[in-house]
Amino acid sequence: MTEMFPAIETRDLSKVYGSLEAVRNLSFCVERNQITAFLGQNGAGKSTTIKCLLGMLRPSTGDASILGKNTRDRAASRVARQKIAYVAENKPLYGYMTVEQMLRFTGAFYQDWCPEMATRLVAEFQLPVDKKIKRLSKGMRTKLALLLAFARKPELLILDEPTEGLDPVGVEQFLQMVVARAAEGITVFFSSHQISEVERIADHVCILDKGRLKVDSPLDYLRQSFRRMDLVFPDFCSEQDFRIPGVQRIESNGRQMSVFVNKNSDMVIERAKYLNATSVEVVPLGLREIFLETVRGS
Amino acid sequence: MLWYKFWLESRLRFLLSLAGLVLFAAFIVFITGKDSVRPMPAKDYHLQLFVAHQYLVGIWMLSVVLLGMGGILRERASGISQFTLALPVDRRRLVGIRFGVYVLESVALAVAPWIAVLLVTHLMGEPWAFRDACFFDSLLIGGGMAFVRLATLVASLIEGEYTAPAVTFGIILIIQVIANAVSWLKPLNFWRLEGGFNYIDTQTLLIVRPFPWSEILLSLLFLLLTLAVSIKAIERREF
Repeated sequence: MTEMFPAIETRDLSKVYGSLEAVRNLSFCVERNQITAFLGQNGAGKSTTIKCLLGMLRPSTGDASILGKNTRDRAASRVARQKIAYVAENKPLYGYMTVEQMLRFTGAFYQDWCPEMATRLVAEFQLPVDKKIKRLSKGMRTKLALLLAFARKPELLILDEPTEGLDPVGVEQFLQMVVARAAEGITVFFSSHQISEVERIADHVCILDKGRLKVDSPLDYLRQSFRRMDLVFPDFCSEQDFRIPGVQRIESNGRQMSVFVNKNSDMVIERAKYLNATSVEVVPLGLREIFLETVRGS
Repeated sequence: MLWYKFWLESRLRFLLSLAGLVLFAAFIVFITGKDSVRPMPAKDYHLQLFVAHQYLVGIWMLSVVLLGMGGILRERASGISQFTLALPVDRRRLVGIRFGVYVLESVALAVAPWIAVLLVTHLMGEPWAFRDACFFDSLLIGGGMAFVRLATLVASLIEGEYTAPAVTFGIILIIQVIANAVSWLKPLNFWRLEGGFNYIDTQTLLIVRPFPWSEILLSLLFLLLTLAVSIKAIERREF
C-alpha cells in the first residue's frame, strides 16, 4: 500500500525565521526507487527542508509528507523515521561512545538493521571499533555516519552532504553503495555541493535557490534541454533579438554572442539564421553549468 | 537503549561525583571522630553524623547540578541533536528517560556516602545509626529534588554546554539569599529542609520532630510537574 505514495511530497512548504524566509512555497515530489539530488548554494534552504521533512522543524505554512505520513503529526513522523536512514550534515555522532557502542545503540532502534552488513562495512571502512568517536578523524566519522545508514534496509535514504570529509577512495565506495542501494529499490534523496558526484548517480535533480525551487526535472531531460548557443554575426547584433521564452542569459561581445537556453533552442537557431549568423554552434551543458546558470539567473 | 545512551553520557560525571562523595564522607567522619573515646557519648555521635550530613548536602547539591548538564538542548549546542532527533523516538520519551536516569543517579549519590558514613563509624566502634542515616538521607533525597527540578527545568530552557549549570547555580544562590533575608520565604530554603535543621533538638542533636512527609511529597509532586513542563518546552522547541 505504501508504494502508492511518493517518498516525499511537499505542498507550498514555507519556513520563516523572523524576517528570513528560508524556504518559500516549496512544492515538489520525490518518486520512489529513484536517486534524487537536492542542489543549492549554502543557505538555499536544503537543510531546512530536510529538517521539516524529518519533523525537527514545523513548517510555517504548507504541508509535507514523507513515506505517506504528514510531518506535522508527531506520531506519524516517528513511524516514518523508523523506515528512513538519515545522514546529517557535519555527521553528528556521540563523541563519548566507541564505534562499537554507537553501532549497538543505533541498531537497537531499527527493525531493518543488518548486523552482518554492519560488520562487513566496519571491515571495509577499516573503522576501529574500540575507539571513541571523538578520537576519530573527520573522514572516519563520515564513514561511520554512512555505515549507520547503509547497515539498514530503509525505504528512504536521506543524505545531507554525504561525502564531506571523504577521500577519493571513500567517495568512490560511497557512490557505488548508493547506486547498489537504489538498485535494491531504496529511494535516495541527497543534497550535495559535489556536482560531479550528483551527475554520476542522480536520476532526478531539484535545484533550490534562496528558498525557491528553480529546477525539478529528470537529469536526462535537463541535459537535453539546457544548451549554450555560440553565435557569430557579420555585424553587430542586438541581444533584444534573442529575448524569447527559454533564453536564460545572453553574453554579447560585438559580433559574437553566447545564448544560454533551457528550452526553445530550435527557435534560437532559426532566429540566428534569419539574422544571417555566420556560425551557429550548439554546446550541451553539464550539470555544473546548468546549476550555475540557474542560480546566476536569479 | 536510551537509558544506555544517557548512562554513557553522564557516567564519568556520576562516577567522579560518587567517588568524591563517598571518600569525602568517609574522611569527614574519620577526622571528626578519630580522637574520641569509643563508643562516643550519644550527643557527640549525633553531632558527628549531623556535621557529616551538612557537608554531604553541599557537595551533593554541587554534584547534582553538574550531573544535570546534558539533554537535547546541550546536544543542540554541540551539534549532535540532529542524530538524536532523527531516531524513531518521541521527544517526550527522550526527556523522560534522561530525567529517570538523572533521578536514579542523584538518589545513588545520596545513598552511597551515607553507607560509607555508617561503615566507617561502625569500624571505628560506633553502633549502627540506621535511623539517623535513613532520616537524613530521606531529607537529602526528598528536599534535594528541588535542585534536580531546577537543573532539569533550566536544561530544557537554556541552550549552551555550560550555561545551564551556571544559571542553575546562580538561581540557587539567589533563592538562598532571599529565603534567608525574608522571613515568610523561609520555606524556600531547601538547604534547611535538606540539612535537617528543623527536625533536631539543638541541645541533644537528636531527631525530635517527625519526618516531613507532606513537604517531601509536595517536593516529589513538583518534580513530576517540572518533568511535564520540561517535556512541553522541548516538544515546542524547533531544532
